[in-house]
Amino acid sequence: MRLGVLWNKLADPKNIPRLFAFSLGIILIVGLIVPMALNPDQLYTRPAPQVQVDEGLAIAPYDRGGEVLKAPGIINPQYPENAAELGMITGYMSPLAQWISSVSPYFGTSIYSSPGGLVDEILYYTRGFDTILESSILMMSFIIASWLSINYTMNRKNDEKEIKADVKKAINDSTQVANEVKANDVKARSKQLRRDN
Amino acid sequence: MVMDFVTLGGNLLGTIPLGDIVLYITPFNLFLFAVLLGFTVLIALSKPETQIEATMHKLNNTEVKVGPKEFKQRRFLSIICGIASAGAMITGDLFNFTLFMALVGILNIGIVSAVKQTTVLNSAFNYGLIAMMCSLPLFGGASIILASTGTLSLAVLSQMPASPMVVFGAILMLIGILGESGVAPFFASKAEMFRTAGSPFIVIIHLSSLFIIVRAVEILLLVLW
Repeated sequence: MRLGVLWNKLADPKNIPRLFAFSLGIILIVGLIVPMALNPDQLYTRPAPQVQVDEGLAIAPYDRGGEVLKAPGIINPQYPENAAELGMITGYMSPLAQWISSVSPYFGTSIYSSPGGLVDEILYYTRGFDTILESSILMMSFIIASWLSINYTMNRKNDEKEIKADVKKAINDSTQVANEVKANDVKARSKQLRRDN
Repeated sequence: MVMDFVTLGGNLLGTIPLGDIVLYITPFNLFLFAVLLGFTVLIALSKPETQIEATMHKLNNTEVKVGPKEFKQRRFLSIICGIASAGAMITGDLFNFTLFMALVGILNIGIVSAVKQTTVLNSAFNYGLIAMMCSLPLFGGASIILASTGTLSLAVLSQMPASPMVVFGAILMLIGILGESGVAPFFASKAEMFRTAGSPFIVIIHLSSLFIIVRAVEILLLVLW
């Protein structure tokens, strides 16, 4: 293939998502052979897998200790000077969560049942700005979607090119259908003829 | 030699601490930030251009105008887009940067989606597909770097040696940034989005991607060197 043909293909918006998906796939496959090494010195600490389960803690593996508003739990900020009160609500759980954790040993195994205080401290205290940004991304997409649903810019009823293409497609489709009907007709007739004989 | 804030951007003028996310200001970042904010103010004040399109085989010309409703929506989104890209210029946190990037991407689609030209909307749709795919390499790259270094703060990352996993995370982030800001070879869908009236709003799409690319180079240097 000549290079010019390739460049022309690159200039067609329709081909770009495919090209991007392809190159992303290649990089992800290459990623499989990259040596993975988890740094144990994580900013958002968690104990080794299964340790808390073996100890039989009720909210394993999310038990970070601490007493609400009295003693700080185990939680590491990047910049301790910016988060002086960190850890004070790490152990907080709603009454319902407390009741479930007293009944079931599996309370901590899913993220939605993890102690509320721990998530809150990361989401709204040390990384609060990220949460603001995330919700503004959501808000912007809702603004765009609602504006589009009211004003419907994608309306193609009056687009001349679309109409031409639609008419062409309709003609093709109808001839195709007519041909099929004809073929079926011939088939049925010959069948009937065989049966009669 | 370790690349840090001083070697890349000049003397550290100050920081804005927001918990773990510390925005920092060097002459380089301050310049990018100020230019984008200044441009955003210009957009907020200016009126959009009108285009005259000649018609093939006919004598009449058609006027492509930005209607009042469309104008309000596109101006609003452009201003937010300007502020978001200005924020990306001074952020000192890797994940924070990717969030700004995602916000700019969705605003770019929003600015164009208010146009009533089907060709423009078609390419905006294709760009939207890329922007959707980009969330995987952007956030995935940031999280891989977090897993292998244990931190997201650029100040700390710039002092750390790069392991193979960090390099892979950085490459993932790079392809996310390339797709989201529409750099070659992924330019076509974004370039076709510009072919419409309403100049200042269209230009912010362009400008935000340019500035974010410059800033991404700085961030990747901080992470890798």
